Amino acid sequence: MSSVRVDKIRRTYGKTLVLDDVSFTAPQGQVVALLGPSGSGKSTILRLIAGLEHVEGGDIHIGGERVSGAGLTVAPEARRVGMVFQDYSLFPHLTAGANVAFGLDKLGRADRDATALKWLDRVGLKHRANAYPHELSGGEQQRVALARALAPSPRAILLDEPFSGLDAVLRAELRDATLATLAEAKTTTLFVTHDAEDALQAADRLVILKSGRVLQEAAPRDAYDHPASLDAAAALGPINVYKSAVANGVVATPFGNVNASQLANGAAANVAVRAEALMLAPGSGARVIAVRPHGAHDLVRIEAQGIVWRALAPARSALGETVSVTIQPAGAFAFSG
Amino acid sequence: MSLAASPADTRALRPDGVAVAAAIATLICAAPAIAVIALAVTRDAGAEFGAALIREGAIGTLSLVLAGGAGAIAFGAGAAWLVTLCKFPGRGVFEWLLVIPLAAPSYILAYAYASMTWAGGSPFPVQGFWGAAFIYAVGLYPYVYLAARAAFASQSACALEAARMLGASPSRMFWRIALPLARPGIAAGAALACMEIAADYGAAQHFGLSTLSTAVFRAWYAHGAPALALQISAVLLVAAMVFLFVERSARGRASYAGGSSRWRPLPRYDLNAVAGGSAAVFCAALIVFGALLPLLWLGRLALLHANVQDIVQPFVNSIVLSGSGAALTLSLAAAIAVAARRATTGWGKSPLFAAGMGYAAPGAVVALGALSLFGLAREAGWVGGLGAGLSLAALFWTYAARFASAGVGPIDAGLSRLSKGFDASARTLGAGPWRRFVEVDLPIAAPSLAAAALILFVEILKELPATLILRPFNFDTLAVKAYSYASDERLLEAAAPALLIFLAGLAPIIILARTIERRRAGAA
Repeated sequence: MSSVRVDKIRRTYGKTLVLDDVSFTAPQGQVVALLGPSGSGKSTILRLIAGLEHVEGGDIHIGGERVSGAGLTVAPEARRVGMVFQDYSLFPHLTAGANVAFGLDKLGRADRDATALKWLDRVGLKHRANAYPHELSGGEQQRVALARALAPSPRAILLDEPFSGLDAVLRAELRDATLATLAEAKTTTLFVTHDAEDALQAADRLVILKSGRVLQEAAPRDAYDHPASLDAAAALGPINVYKSAVANGVVATPFGNVNASQLANGAAANVAVRAEALMLAPGSGARVIAVRPHGAHDLVRIEAQGIVWRALAPARSALGETVSVTIQPAGAFAFSG
Repeated sequence: MSLAASPADTRALRPDGVAVAAAIATLICAAPAIAVIALAVTRDAGAEFGAALIREGAIGTLSLVLAGGAGAIAFGAGAAWLVTLCKFPGRGVFEWLLVIPLAAPSYILAYAYASMTWAGGSPFPVQGFWGAAFIYAVGLYPYVYLAARAAFASQSACALEAARMLGASPSRMFWRIALPLARPGIAAGAALACMEIAADYGAAQHFGLSTLSTAVFRAWYAHGAPALALQISAVLLVAAMVFLFVERSARGRASYAGGSSRWRPLPRYDLNAVAGGSAAVFCAALIVFGALLPLLWLGRLALLHANVQDIVQPFVNSIVLSGSGAALTLSLAAAIAVAARRATTGWGKSPLFAAGMGYAAPGAVVALGALSLFGLAREAGWVGGLGAGLSLAALFWTYAARFASAGVGPIDAGLSRLSKGFDASARTLGAGPWRRFVEVDLPIAAPSLAAAALILFVEILKELPATLILRPFNFDTLAVKAYSYASDERLLEAAAPALLIFLAGLAPIIILARTIERRRAGAA
C-alpha cells in the first residue's frame, strides 16, 4: 500500500508523442480511473508505472521511492506492483492455483499454496484451483488474474481495461465484485477504461485523458459537475455543443440560456449541455424528431431553429409533437471558445 | 490498446546479440549455394561431354517435373476439393490420412515398388520414366493437398454460398469459383512438389534415369570431374531457385486471396451414392499407393529377409548422426526464428531468405558447396587434409543449411505463443530473467521446440544424397544402407533399412495429421 505519483512524464514512439507532460497522483488505498478513448495513452501510463517501458522525461514515485525518471528504470520485478493485463495473460501451462502462486515464490511451499488458495477463495474460485486457463470462462480468467496480481501484496495494482472483454450483464457484476475485493485488500489501484460508466461507478478519483494529455483530475462528482473543458465534459457522457457569443452574462441557445457569467460580454463561447440536463415537458418551443428507448430513459432528438440536440427523458414520457425545453443549470457549462 | 511493446522499446530493453547470431546463420545457410555458383562460373569444366550431360539431365529433370508435377497437382487438388467441399463416406478420416504419404522419401517408395514389380507383387509394373513419375505423383501430392486444402478452406463461405444460390452444380462451382480462388495455393504446393522432384537422386538413379541430380553424381564419381559436377549443380540450383520464387510469390498471393476473416463452416455438397463412393475410392487409392501398400510390402520383406546384424550399426549411426545434426540445426533455426520475429527491416529477414534458399537447394548441391568451401580452405592452408572430421563437419553444415528452414516454422509458432505478454506478467510478479526463462518461456515453447526437433531428426534420417557424398569412409546410415543394397539389386535386404526410415518418417506426419484433425474438431 503506497501512493503512486506521476510527475510530468513524457513518452514517444518513433515520432509520435504518446504522453505529453502527464501528472497525477493516486493517493494511498484509493481507486483511480484513467479514462480516455483509445490512443489517449492510458495503457502506456500503466506500462510506465509497471516499469515495462522507460520514461523519456519526468518521474514516477511509488510510496515515496523514485522508480522511473531520466536514466532510471527500476525493473518491473523489483517494483512490487501488480498488474492485470487486458488479455489476462494467465500462464497457459499452469493451473489457476499455480498461476496465483507464481508471485509467491519467496514463501515456503505450504505457505505459498495456502496463500494462493486464500486469494482464489476471495474471488470465489477456490473450487477451480486445479483448472487450466483454457478451461475457465472469460470472467473466471479475469478473477484469477486479479487474485494472481493481489496475492504477493503489491504496493499498488494496475488494471488494463479490466472489464472490456465481457458482456454487459457479467461486466456490472464483475465490476462490483472486483471493487469489493480491492476494497478488502486496501491496495492503491489504478485502472484504465474507455467506459465513462465504469469510471464513474468504480473510482474514488478520475484522471481524464485525451491525446496523451490530462484534461482533468478530480473526484467523479466534481468532474461530472464541474468539467474543466468541453472535452472533459464529453468524456463523461453525451453532450450537446453550441457555439455563440456571450451576451449579458449568458449564451443564448435555441433551447434556452446557459449561464456564462465568468466570461466577458461579447466573447466567443462554446456551450456544453448534458443530454440528461434537458427537461422536456408538453408545450412548444422544440419539435420532437425521434424517440428511441435507451435503458431506463428514452433518447429524444429535438429540433429548434434548425439545430438538433439529444435529450434523455424518463422512459415512456408522454411527449407530443412539440415540447417545451428547460436547461438545468447543473448540467450546462460555458467555456471560452 | 495493444499490450505488445513497440519494436523500438524491445530494442531498448534487450541487448542485440541476436543480430550477430542471425548474420552467422545467414552465412551458414547461404555460403554453400554461393560457393557452388561462384566456382561454377569461375572454374573451367574443360570436358566436352559436359554440355551433353547437362542437356540430357535438364531434359530428364524437366520431363519428370512436368509428368510427376501434373500428377501431384491432379491428385492433391482433387483430394483437397473433395474433403473440404463435399460430403462422402469417410471424409473426416481421409482429411488427415491423406498427408501420410509424406512419410516416405521418394527413393524408399522406389525401392518398395521396384521389389514389388520384380517379385510380381505389384498390380502394374513400376519402372523407368513412368514408374518414377508415378512415385513422385503418389508420394508428393500431399504438398499440393495441404496448400490447396488451406486455400479451399479459407475461401469465403459467402462466395460459395452465393454460387449455390445461383444454381451452380458442384463441378461448375469447382471450375468457375473454387479452383480460380485456390490457384495461388495450388501453385505454391506444386512448386514444393517440383522442388522435391528436381532434388531427388535415389529414385531417379534406381530407375536408371538421366536427370540433373544423377548427372552431378556421374560427373563427380564416374568421370572424376568436380568442376563439371559444380556446373551441373549450379544449373540445378537455378532451377530450385525458380521453384522457390514461384512458391514464395504464390504463397503471398494465396494469403491475399484468403477471403473473409470470420470462420464459418463451409457449405458442403452431398454427393450421391455413386459419386460419394468414387470419391472415397479415389482418396483411399491415394493413401494405399502412396503409403499403405509400400509400407506393408516392405514390412513383409523385412520380416522374411532382414539381416538384423547388418543394420544394427547403420541404425545406431543414423540415430547419432540425426540426433546431433538435429540439435545443431535446431539452434540455428531458433536464431533465425528469433531474428525474423524481431526484424523491422528487410535486412532482418535475410536469414529467413537464406534458410529458404538452403531448403530449396538439392542435398547433393549443398553438399558439394560445403565440400568446396573446405577444399578452398585447404588450398589456402587453413585446414589440413579432408579427413573424417572435416567431412563430418561438412555434413553437419549441409544438414544445417538444408533443413534450418524446416525448423523455423514450428519454432516461430512457439514464439508467437510467447509474445502474448507472459513475459510482462511474470516480471510484474517479481520473476527475474532466469526464472522467466525456465518457468515461463521454456515450458510454453517446449511443445513447439519438440516438434521442430522431431521434424529435423527425421529429415536428416531420411536424407540420402548429401550423406552419400560426405559420410566418413565406412560410416553407413540406414539411408546409405538401403541405397547400397538397392544399387546392388539386393532389394530384399534393402527392405529392412527402408522400412525403418519409413516408420521414422511416420512420426512427424502423424503429428501433422493430428493437428489437422484437432483443428477440424475444434472448429466444428
